[in-house]
Amino acid sequence: MHSSILQAINGISFAALLFLLASGFTITFGLMRVVNMAHGAYYLVGGYIGLTITRYTGSFALGVLGGGLAVIPLGYLIDRFLVSRTGENHLAQVLLTVGIAFVLGDVALHIWGGDNLKVPTPIELRGAIELPGGIIYPTYRFVLILFGIVVGLSLWLLYRKTQIGAVVRAGVDDREIVSAIGINIDWLFVLVSALASFLAGMAGVVGGAFLTLYPGAEWEILIYALVVVIFGGLGSLEGAMIGALIVGLLDAYGRWLLPEFSYFVLFAPMAILLLFRPRGIFGREG
Amino acid sequence: MNSYRVILASTALVAALIAPLVTGQYWMSLITQVYIYGLLALSVDLLLGHAGLYSLCQASFFAVAAYTTAILQVRYGYPTIVSAPAGLVAGTLLAGLYGCAVRTRGVYFILITIALGYIIWGAFYRWASFTGGDNGITNVPPPTVLGVSIVSQTAYYYFVLGVVLLCALGYRILVRSPFGLSLRGIKGSESRMQSLGYRTTMHLYVAFIISGAIASLAGVLYVYYNRFINPVAASFQISVEVSLMAIVGGSGTIVGPFIGAGIFLGVRNWVSSFFEMHTAVMGIVFIATVLWAPGGIVGFIERWRTGGRKVKGQP
Repeated sequence: MHSSILQAINGISFAALLFLLASGFTITFGLMRVVNMAHGAYYLVGGYIGLTITRYTGSFALGVLGGGLAVIPLGYLIDRFLVSRTGENHLAQVLLTVGIAFVLGDVALHIWGGDNLKVPTPIELRGAIELPGGIIYPTYRFVLILFGIVVGLSLWLLYRKTQIGAVVRAGVDDREIVSAIGINIDWLFVLVSALASFLAGMAGVVGGAFLTLYPGAEWEILIYALVVVIFGGLGSLEGAMIGALIVGLLDAYGRWLLPEFSYFVLFAPMAILLLFRPRGIFGREG
Repeated sequence: MNSYRVILASTALVAALIAPLVTGQYWMSLITQVYIYGLLALSVDLLLGHAGLYSLCQASFFAVAAYTTAILQVRYGYPTIVSAPAGLVAGTLLAGLYGCAVRTRGVYFILITIALGYIIWGAFYRWASFTGGDNGITNVPPPTVLGVSIVSQTAYYYFVLGVVLLCALGYRILVRSPFGLSLRGIKGSESRMQSLGYRTTMHLYVAFIISGAIASLAGVLYVYYNRFINPVAASFQISVEVSLMAIVGGSGTIVGPFIGAGIFLGVRNWVSSFFEMHTAVMGIVFIATVLWAPGGIVGFIERWRTGGRKVKGQP
């Protein structure tokens, strides 16, 4: 009983991290119809830059902010000069962005080396706290859950309750009409893509503090994010939230109960869901 | 087939036949690899170039076939005549199971096959008690067919060449059959094929299984070539690389995937001999292909020969 609750908290804290990455991925797809497989590389590069900033300044918060901000120009250049040339050809996008991820991963390997690096966390977040019911849990992962909730809530408010969000939602539904009524859709693309890059880079720093950063981490986390959006439905922010929770919990319980088959525990429900709802829980036709 | 192609094909065949006599061990080994990866790229291209589906889990069938053969042969001591067909059957069965992905199209199909591919990678990697984990299965013996053991590298080269040629012939018949035509019809316009009364999903499902069978054959050839197998064979990277080979060479053709495999493996071996960051170089090859040569080498030559009138096999 005790450890099953512990695993649930583990799952939710992993879900918080996955949401940071998957939300950007899903919104970029929804608005721009771009499948950006380099998102995992943004995570890794952001994480490494945040690590370096934290080491030099000693401030974890600056590291998180800097890691996220540093990825924005990178993501902009990639979108503007490379991805935009593929139009809506998803096959070309996948190959192109996988190539970009290879380049970024290899460059990161040469700068930061091949060892597992851990982003240092501030003293206040080290150690453990006691939750109601006598459960001892690492403070950092608990704060991560709160952080995920805050980010998720602000994204949801931004998306559902503000004018920018309304324009973005309109763009997801019908791009041509949005530009026809005089809204600068290119500017909107830049904004959304910058937000997605920022979230991915920030996720790298936050995740690097407990999962560590190493070459290949970009693909591992990207696959989890893909499963999140497959569960939730591409292009849906709510889907990314629900999907992240499902994936986080399945992963935590899978690792705990069936360590050798944890991938099956994660992917088999996904395959079954697809048989009945090929577009995920919140996905739409068309 | 015009005379130009006959000359080209016979030159290539003669070159392939005499290659072991005029080149050393290194080149022969590399060319064998090109044949095997070319076959795997061909399996990608059946779906990509003809049916318009981009599958990124081909490495799964490849690896499942290779692992099945290796485990049966090494751990249970079955002869090649049992373990090689068993590998083929295992890979093809998996394709039958994963074929449920053809219920989806476009970007969903791509994402789902990526995720499905990771199941197999994860199984080989984490289920260490059965698959050997990271170390994989080593000491696979040379194949023995009808009492004759194919030990020498030259003999195996000719064996692989023979299998690949037979496969290419069968593939040619397949893509020119009414079935192949209906696949291209689906690629062109699925709704039109449906309104003509074709069960398009069933056609794609069958194509997926055939593609899985070709990938499995490549896996069996690979495990006897490499003599060991580890989870890298099932990785996403392999699936992406072979699809790039198909596109670099020229999607929708038979020689294209093999030319692509040759270029890709050649460039990688050459670059990695003097430059440490060869993964980055391969990434740049990906980017350059997508941006400047989406029709591949064969498309490039076709365009040049026809004076830019048509571009064949744009992905």
